[in-house]
Amino acid sequence: MNRSASMNGILLVAAREIRQILKMKSFWLTLLILPVALAIGPLFAETLEDDEPTRVAVVDRSGGQTAEALEARFAAEDAQWLLRDLSRYVQRYDLESADPEAPWAQHDRWYTGADIAAFEASGGLDAALAKIDAVRPEGVPEFEPDMPDYSFEPAPPELANAQGDSFGEAARALFDADDDTAPEIVVLIGEGYPADPRIQLFSADQPRGSFVSTMQEVLTNDLRARLLASQGVSPANAAAVQSAAPVIAVDTPPPGGGARETLLVRSIVPLALAYILMMSLMLSGSWMLQGSVEERSNKLLESLLACIRPEDLMYGKLLGSLSVGLLMILVWGACAGAAAYATQGAISDMIRPALEPVSSPGIIAAILFFFIAGYILISALFVAIGAMVDSMSEAQGYLMPVLLLILLPITFLIQAILAGNSGWMVQVLTWVPLWTPFTVMARLGMGIEWWEMVGSGILLAATIVLELVLIGRLFRASLLSTGQKPSLKKIVERFRSTPA
Amino acid sequence: MSVLEVSNLVKRFDGVLAVDDLSFSVAPGEIFGFLGGNGAGKTTTLRMVLDIIRPTSGSIQVLGSAPGRRNAQAIGFLPEERGLYAGMSAIDTIVYFGRLKGMDAGEARRRGMDLLTRFDLADRAKSDIGDMSKGMAQKVQLATSLVNDPELLMLDEPFSGLDPVNQGLLENEILRASERGAAVIFSTHVMQHAERLCDRLLLLKKGSKRFEGTLEEARAALPARLVASAKEDLSRIPGVARAASGDGVEDGWHDWTLHLEPGVPAADILEYCTANGIALRRWDEHQASLHDVFVRMVGEEPAPARAEKEIAA
Repeated sequence: MNRSASMNGILLVAAREIRQILKMKSFWLTLLILPVALAIGPLFAETLEDDEPTRVAVVDRSGGQTAEALEARFAAEDAQWLLRDLSRYVQRYDLESADPEAPWAQHDRWYTGADIAAFEASGGLDAALAKIDAVRPEGVPEFEPDMPDYSFEPAPPELANAQGDSFGEAARALFDADDDTAPEIVVLIGEGYPADPRIQLFSADQPRGSFVSTMQEVLTNDLRARLLASQGVSPANAAAVQSAAPVIAVDTPPPGGGARETLLVRSIVPLALAYILMMSLMLSGSWMLQGSVEERSNKLLESLLACIRPEDLMYGKLLGSLSVGLLMILVWGACAGAAAYATQGAISDMIRPALEPVSSPGIIAAILFFFIAGYILISALFVAIGAMVDSMSEAQGYLMPVLLLILLPITFLIQAILAGNSGWMVQVLTWVPLWTPFTVMARLGMGIEWWEMVGSGILLAATIVLELVLIGRLFRASLLSTGQKPSLKKIVERFRSTPA
Repeated sequence: MSVLEVSNLVKRFDGVLAVDDLSFSVAPGEIFGFLGGNGAGKTTTLRMVLDIIRPTSGSIQVLGSAPGRRNAQAIGFLPEERGLYAGMSAIDTIVYFGRLKGMDAGEARRRGMDLLTRFDLADRAKSDIGDMSKGMAQKVQLATSLVNDPELLMLDEPFSGLDPVNQGLLENEILRASERGAAVIFSTHVMQHAERLCDRLLLLKKGSKRFEGTLEEARAALPARLVASAKEDLSRIPGVARAASGDGVEDGWHDWTLHLEPGVPAADILEYCTANGIALRRWDEHQASLHDVFVRMVGEEPAPARAEKEIAA
């Protein structure tokens, strides 16, 4: 009877806390921020993807094949990217059966010139897509190739006749002309080339490093070929010398083994969980704090304490805060799910491999445990602050150090995990209960030993029990002593006080 | 059987004795005044009865059991420092407290609406407390303490901050609760309310009891004073402790101010005068007021009533 009355009180307090927070405008604003961001995000992505290829014009006055060589080289690079994208698409939707022998049905490898040549020889993209379409199930989106980075166009007539300084002026005039067909990069290979090896590059904007280095490589090859030819080396020998290069076999380790990209994808959801835990904690914690401060500053406590034990009041507040936090996360999760379902594109593609490390029942149970434990652990600190202060401004004074203590290490933690680092700092953060929930969750992507998870979980649970006992005492002892600023000595005394 | 039985209660805070060996009891239907200056230990005692703080020693029996929240359903409490959730409506606030005391929601709402109607606030039941005047909010808070028809109603300085109309309303509620059979304890340092309402009262000073009894007993505890006009010397009458004669009025008549010995009623002096043929022209009896008793026993001035009559905003 007594126990059920106590439970009844806890639930009543929790329900009142929840109602109070649901009445706040800040709650609804915060709740809506994420869905709005998710809705706006794809729009931005759309505009970002709308990236026209950069127009390049090569004026070759040396009479050689340099322009063609440049164009061929960039085309080969585009083909390599295309093959890689196609391979990912095929892997994502399990379409290898379209042509198991095709280069794009073999994943995680570096496509060589031979692969590209084979791809082109077998009909290029159109032929590949025709095969894929034959096996593509209903609902799988069509493959959409990216635009090539560069498009090579014939030089405009005003450049063809320009000489010396006037060439540069003509090029700049073209850049300034605000014409959608004018070149954005102009490369001038002079008449004296290769005897005079200077190449001039005019660019409307800062040219990309990759463009310059690729161009440099092609031109170097071309220059060496000509020099070798002039030395009497036969073109066949010259080509052999040119193409002599070590064969680099790229071996992608299995996921979790340290490949940076894979690790990133696998860590996205765990990191997001840790981050969301932190965000919702900060929010619901400060809302709860407002409620506690209101109870104190409005002299409500004595009326409440006549009806309910201080411990039950505290548990009710914790339960209320936890419920609001979980509600917030549920809404956010539902929004993210809806967005992933609606877009069927970038987000869902990313989420599929990202969900892999967090999709076993054991892991889900662990996430729930660390989430709830983290909530109680930190919310109890807010309760303690709420029990000691009389005004929100006074609360800020306590709040800042506590927030810094929680936030700073987590900022480092997220960076360390993004860098694939599981050094001593991550170990320490795992075992300090204040940071355990965040660290364990963030580490799920990298892989965490089960004993570490269980061990730190037990330590965390024990800490929470101890914390609730201590803060329960502090809460009880602090509730009615309004007006006086508690000194550190007083606070310690309150921790020790038995419920008397 | 008494509703509240306090025996040998002691409470010490950091070496300061707040309540010192206090014993009293309150019977059903009784209105019990808890009088004392600031810091006399009134609030501390009430908090111990509510189990908000625990006694250092001594025992408290509330409705036959030790203090605890299981008694909450039988207790109504109005603290001295009052406040409610600004964002909650009047009726929701009353229902919330009713349910905390173990009532079911429907019953609490029905009782809450009855009380609001009685307090002339029925049309504001759904208004947020934050939108109400201070006087209205105080009536809502009174309703939260009455919603469960408590057997023990404890009001800590209930009249402070109330306008005269609401003071009248509160007096009616106290009388109504007492008629219903509830024991009512209220602390105050305004003697007029205590004189009007209390069946019995207790005077506290620095945590210890100075007096407990009825209003008449309290008055009788102080020697009476009277002013009489006579030609004879009245100072020699037995039972007169001190006498001072004023200036002669006329023809040998003198105004005498007589202080009687404790326990001697003024009637004895009158009887003596009549029996002994002492002619009297004036006879003014001044019985000690509760104010005098308070000043004498507690050694400080109680708050003047008019200072309490703040007009509600």
